[in-house]
Amino acid sequence: MLLLSPILVLAVGGLIVMLIDAFQEQEGGLAMPTALLHFVAAAAALALWQRGVPSDAGSLVHGWLAIDKTTLFLQATIALGGAFASLLAGGYLAEHKLDRGEYYPLIAFSTAGAGLLVAANDMLMVFVALETMSLGVYAMTGFRRTSARSAEAALKYFLLGSFAAALLLMGAALLYTVTGHTDFPGIAAALQAPSPASGAAADDANAAVLAAQFAIKLKISIFAMLLVLVAMAFKVGAVPFHMWTPDAYEGAPTSTTAYMSVVVKAAAFGALLRVFLTVFGDAANASISGGWPAVLSVLAVLTMSVGNLVALTQTSVKRMLAYSSVAHAGYLLLGVVAAPHATAGIAAKSSVLFYLLGYTVSNAGAMGALILAGRRGAETVSYDDLAGYARRHPAAGFALTLFLLSLTGVPPTVGFFGKFYIIRATLDAGYTNLAIIALINSAVSAYYYLGVLVKMYMREPAPGATRAAPMKSFYVVFSLIVAGVLVVWMGLMPERWLSLAAEASGARPAAAAPAEGANNGGAPTPL
Amino acid sequence: MFRPFGGDVNPSLSLTHAYGPVFMIVGFSLFVACAMFALATLMGPKVKPEDRGEFKDTPYESGSPSSGAQHVKLSVKFYLTAILFVVFDIEAIFLYPWGVLFQRLGWVGLAEMLVFLSVLTVCLVYCWKKGALEWQS
Repeated sequence: MLLLSPILVLAVGGLIVMLIDAFQEQEGGLAMPTALLHFVAAAAALALWQRGVPSDAGSLVHGWLAIDKTTLFLQATIALGGAFASLLAGGYLAEHKLDRGEYYPLIAFSTAGAGLLVAANDMLMVFVALETMSLGVYAMTGFRRTSARSAEAALKYFLLGSFAAALLLMGAALLYTVTGHTDFPGIAAALQAPSPASGAAADDANAAVLAAQFAIKLKISIFAMLLVLVAMAFKVGAVPFHMWTPDAYEGAPTSTTAYMSVVVKAAAFGALLRVFLTVFGDAANASISGGWPAVLSVLAVLTMSVGNLVALTQTSVKRMLAYSSVAHAGYLLLGVVAAPHATAGIAAKSSVLFYLLGYTVSNAGAMGALILAGRRGAETVSYDDLAGYARRHPAAGFALTLFLLSLTGVPPTVGFFGKFYIIRATLDAGYTNLAIIALINSAVSAYYYLGVLVKMYMREPAPGATRAAPMKSFYVVFSLIVAGVLVVWMGLMPERWLSLAAEASGARPAAAAPAEGANNGGAPTPL
Repeated sequence: MFRPFGGDVNPSLSLTHAYGPVFMIVGFSLFVACAMFALATLMGPKVKPEDRGEFKDTPYESGSPSSGAQHVKLSVKFYLTAILFVVFDIEAIFLYPWGVLFQRLGWVGLAEMLVFLSVLTVCLVYCWKKGALEWQS
């Protein structure tokens, strides 16, 4: 029970918020309770962390969930993202006359699903958690019911999401066929090559049969792995499975976009890390030459490059942020590629966790600053809308500037260190080419982020065009301040936060890790 | 064992063993359906195209004159009712296996079912207060 407290807080709290919504006379006012709920969930995760959870084996909940430090770190990140989204929704929905109460329980339930997803230790649990998370987000995407764009976004997201879930199930079913297990450790154990030394020499014929059987097993499991990979790549929005991202991000209410880009992404990366490091973490599958890191590295390069190049041509800031979130998924995939490496693996994994936390505050902040720039009937979406915005409204303009700089990766912000750690881990793991491509992409991305700044500071709106003016909302301003403080704090003192991420990844005293990894040829540390 | 083509088959693997009766029913139904149409076409009175009247071209509705449009619009209200029905129907179905295992599950099982039911009750209260159960409005 105690181990589940972050999830339980959100689930039970979501029910309570639902009841408040049903019984209160007037709509609205649920943003703060929902945000508090998320903060409590984050605090619960931190309290569990303080209380001490084994970082490698983790505490199993009947084998279904693994509550280890990785889980808790991601749960806290997710809860933080959910809190930002609820606060932003409080400002955005009220401003645009969408403030209906069901939005807030949906956030809470989706975050509960996301919290389960990062803890899932069983294929069935992954599916259930993924659906719990996604169903709420589909509804939140289509929340602007009268808008065709919103409905289109929700339908697209729903159809492609269901398709991805079906692929995931197919992969899980195939894995069950060959291994007889749905739990991660069970599948992993069944996929281990039978060791030739264990008395098999006495019975050559039998050993040959076993070896042949195992070869077939491995072939089917590779197919299953690809299916699972596609499903996960869809959820994180990796190219070529990113097609839903721009439309869903642009059509959804901006608070939902914030939610999708931080919470769903963090949860999907958590699940991706755990599935691939635990289930397919053995030497054959995780080898750099032939296993999934090779496949993922291609995906990562595609994701970074396509995301950045297409973002260059956008005229809508919201759509640009959608493509930029695709590009960021690419940087994150680099960390996943390096994660099974024997020596650099832990650093790679912790860099992914750190990046997710940094990306959560930066992107939620950027979305929030964009929300702040739009008033009722005049939602700011395009570059042109923002012309001269920062000169007329320096504080609001500065907020957007800060978060965009962090997304670009400019030093005093967290975005710089996120990219720095990921690229360092990639280099340490021997992927020099990938690191170079990431650096080039990062430079390219500066063009479109800074393009917003140029518009805001150096251009004047066309005569007759509506002038963007910030809306007045305590919720949005509050979340921007929190996110801004975190962005700068994590940017100024990254080591502190990175050491937390490293602890979450199971870093141990320096001497032990390399010797261990060297023996089994690049096997990753267990989660 | 149904083995029309002979041969030495492992009974546990034989498709015909497991699905033989089903195949027979499918084959029989196909035969009956085709035979009826074939017999009606072959043996029924031949009508020249120019002799086809209004009634010959009308769909057969058990002898009564056909009425109304083919496509009927249903109120969207049915959607909510149907969704709620599915939700609470699944709940009822879930109670059956629990009831069968009630003794073995003991207090833990009772507590878990109470949690499940209370979540659903909250949802029912929510639907009620939100007016999902009202037909008018």
